Amino acid sequence: MIARPPFGRRPADRHTPSSWDLLEQVSATSLDEDYGKVAARRGDRGVGPRRRPQVFAAVALVALGLLITITALQTRSAGPVDAQERSTLVRQIHDREADISRIASRSDQLESEVEGLQGTAEQIGSRGEELLDSLDDARLMSGAVAVEGPGVRIVADNESGGSTSSGGTILDLDLQVLVNGLWQAGAEAVSINGNRLGSLSAIRTAGRAITVNYNSLTPPYVVTAIGDPDTLEATFADTPGGQAWFDLETNYGIQFEMDTVDELTLPAVPEERLEAQYAKRQGELP
Amino acid sequence: MIAILGLVIGLAAGLVIEPEVPDSMEPYLPIAVVAALDATFGALRAYLDDIFDDKVFVVSFLSNVIIAALIVYLGDKLGVGSQLSTGVVVVLGIRIFSNVAAIRRHIFHA
Repeated sequence: MIARPPFGRRPADRHTPSSWDLLEQVSATSLDEDYGKVAARRGDRGVGPRRRPQVFAAVALVALGLLITITALQTRSAGPVDAQERSTLVRQIHDREADISRIASRSDQLESEVEGLQGTAEQIGSRGEELLDSLDDARLMSGAVAVEGPGVRIVADNESGGSTSSGGTILDLDLQVLVNGLWQAGAEAVSINGNRLGSLSAIRTAGRAITVNYNSLTPPYVVTAIGDPDTLEATFADTPGGQAWFDLETNYGIQFEMDTVDELTLPAVPEERLEAQYAKRQGELP
Repeated sequence: MIAILGLVIGLAAGLVIEPEVPDSMEPYLPIAVVAALDATFGALRAYLDDIFDDKVFVVSFLSNVIIAALIVYLGDKLGVGSQLSTGVVVVLGIRIFSNVAAIRRHIFHA
């Protein structure tokens, strides 16, 4: 069984294996050369082919049978493992998909929750703004903050020359009447000699001086009031306070001068005059 | 006759015992089987050619199996295990085919 050389090859090439195709070489030497060699040696020695029981060959064939069955069993047992792995993976995929849909619905839920909370936050925010506004107003009106605006400035002084005569001296009562008249005329903030009047401020005589917010005042008394600059002065003149002061001016020589001012600045009420100790808010905040 | 008996005994023993093969040996089993088949068909052809020899068969059987497994092992270590396996299977397959063809000619005289 010697392979034929390829077509077109010269016969001389036949014995140089390097020129043979690899596949042809493989087919040509498919029978172990040792068989031929051993047989030739036996022929040389005049011994015929062995015909005794081939024990070793049988053992080798047992080994072959074992190999074949082992391999087949291995391959077969690997199959179920693959299938098991596949089903495990499929189950994991399903699990993950369930996880995803659960998480997605949870996300939707949280989203709507966030929307609700945002609505609440907006409500709270606008409520907060409302409260801040009203707080602003309250601080303004209670005198907790300095204020500015148009209004009137009144300069009042005792009768010039004689402070001894009882008639020509401004009393705490006169200032009370004056301030009351200003409130009545529409003033929104009043201060006397730089002492802003708050809801706890009293105008009273202590010793020989008039005090406001525990600060002693010395004449001349400068009363500033913020209010409508067009009407404050005229309206004040019509109030009982205005008339009382007109009377004081004409009959007792008290100096009184009232001017409309475009730009007034009034300080805040001192803090200790803003603290309530007993009064508590009743009910909810507005 | 005794050879066929041995083959049957081997198959039966493998089925009955179901030996456990270490995982590290597993990749080399198919190659070893192909190599053993090659040696066996070569032996059958030699038998029909009347030049069969017990010793030559056993030696070629063992060396075929061991060398095939070693080549694949080496290929695994070098990272070309599957390519080398393919090469070994191709070469052994060609040998098996040409041996079987020779056996066929012996039996059918064709």
